[in-house]
Amino acid sequence: MKSRLIFWGNIAICFLLRSGRITAALSLMVITAVAVLIFLSALAVGVNDTMIRNSVGLYSGHISGEELPMSLPPDRLRMDGVATVLKRVYSPGILSREQTVLPITAAGVDPAAEKEVTALWKKVVAGAYPEEGKAEILLSRSMAEKLNVQPGDPLDYRPLPDGSPVTLTVSGVFHTGIDTLDQNLAFCPAGVLENAGKTWQAAIFLKEGSDPDAVVADYRNRLSGVGRFQTWKEAMPDLVQLIELNYVSMGIVLILVFGVVSLGIACAFVIFIFRNLREYGIMKAMGVTSGEMAGLLILNVVLMNLAGCLAGLLIGVAAVLTANAWGIDLTAFTSHNRYFTVSGIIYPRLTRFSLWLPLALSLVFSLIAALWPAILVNRKKAADILRIV
Amino acid sequence: MIRIENVNKTYRSGRGKVHALADVSCTIAEGAAAALVGKSGSGKTTLLNCIGGLELPDAGRIQCFGQYLSLLSGSGLSRYQRRRVGFIFQHGNLFSYLTVRQNIAFPLNLNGFSKPDIAERVEGLLERIGLSRAGDAMPHELSGGEMQRVAAARAMAHSPALLLADEPTASLDSETAGNLVRLMFEIGKENNCTMVISTHDPDVFHLAEQVIHLKDGRIQEEE
Repeated sequence: MKSRLIFWGNIAICFLLRSGRITAALSLMVITAVAVLIFLSALAVGVNDTMIRNSVGLYSGHISGEELPMSLPPDRLRMDGVATVLKRVYSPGILSREQTVLPITAAGVDPAAEKEVTALWKKVVAGAYPEEGKAEILLSRSMAEKLNVQPGDPLDYRPLPDGSPVTLTVSGVFHTGIDTLDQNLAFCPAGVLENAGKTWQAAIFLKEGSDPDAVVADYRNRLSGVGRFQTWKEAMPDLVQLIELNYVSMGIVLILVFGVVSLGIACAFVIFIFRNLREYGIMKAMGVTSGEMAGLLILNVVLMNLAGCLAGLLIGVAAVLTANAWGIDLTAFTSHNRYFTVSGIIYPRLTRFSLWLPLALSLVFSLIAALWPAILVNRKKAADILRIV
Repeated sequence: MIRIENVNKTYRSGRGKVHALADVSCTIAEGAAAALVGKSGSGKTTLLNCIGGLELPDAGRIQCFGQYLSLLSGSGLSRYQRRRVGFIFQHGNLFSYLTVRQNIAFPLNLNGFSKPDIAERVEGLLERIGLSRAGDAMPHELSGGEMQRVAAARAMAHSPALLLADEPTASLDSETAGNLVRLMFEIGKENNCTMVISTHDPDVFHLAEQVIHLKDGRIQEEE
């Protein structure tokens, strides 16, 4: 059995090597398809990564913890897979300037830590992000317009229901394009909102590759019911759907491209078989069985595909690594999209999806492509072939 | 022994029904060489194909070495062709992507010969056909006569009991054809191989023990 396999393998290799130009032309088709699809798949992963990075990195984090008691220190939330925990205190209140009043939610933050981890400061369109120790507030553009203030202007802030009013200076104005941030959130150093509430909220940022679901499960287990935790997937189901849609679209593209490539390979092989039909007739006359003949044709196509896949894989991976090192700046196409508020630079990334799916599909489709020529040769009788060719 | 009993074969073509073989009966002794003679379209190739199991008669039966070919299954027929039959055709015998050596080794590999046995037989045959230095050549590098010698070597490499040759010398000059015929008969006789050769070549008539004349699918006379 083994020697038989080696024999047919050798015949297939000889066929491919000595049919140089045709093999090269067909391989080029496979190489191009695999390389392009590995790159496109990695690009799709990169687009998803950028959307997630932008969405969680702007402000919310990978996990948000709510209603955490003041007695729970942020360090208790630092565990395996967690990179940073940001403490935030929220306080409803009223902002007033001359005759204008505006209900808002003030978020007390650690400005230095926020600037280090989140990207909200990059969305400041006028003035600057508040500084620790200063009685400053960062307003959204819509708030600033309603209150008719600019950076440097004073404002009165009165915490609800019955806090003492304080005067804050507008440090800057931001605009994200995301309604939940732009409508009623204002940011100030946490010290300004002292005694603002009995609970705090955590924005938890994870290390690369950490699974947010696993971390949340760990929190629920360790903190036994204290606070509420939500992953970005739960908080942003629209983004999850968009990512899934992206994968499904890419899967459809992969299948369509390989369908077309396989059809091309099958057609080319059928033409090639017709050109060499007499040799197949002679093989049959020598007692080569239908199974062996089909096996030989399948081996031919699969070996050629394997070689093409390997070369395509190397080219595709090299292209992805190069693009990953530089990044592909698609800001011009993403600047009005809320999932790209921070950056429109895409870093294609290789994953099991982007790496193996094109290869697996290529091999599956190559087997399908080999069926047509195999059936065609097997259906013809040796005597008919030898008579007509 | 090959026994052909009342064999009929009809084809449908653009010109209607063609009776390629009509009630053909004959016997060829084991180890004998038979020449099939007749004009183009007389049924020589069809009779060879029927004996080789490449096509089945519409009526009648063929017994080769005790086996009725019509009773063999698909795989049984393949086994018969692989083990007991060697074919030589008029042209285009060799696999274009295999070397001369690989072409001759093909039936040996197919029949599961051992590697040393294959090497010994292939080298012996290459020497026998005068192409011991051309083992690594590709078919397109050979002349027409050399190609047919390689085809003969390949057909007889696995020592088949039956050699079927369909006008093997038709595209060769008389000297080359003569050499090929002598080579076929030499190797064939050494292996006690029954040979059925369709031909117009007088060399074959002279060497064959039996000459079967076909005309319009019927045997006219047997010598």
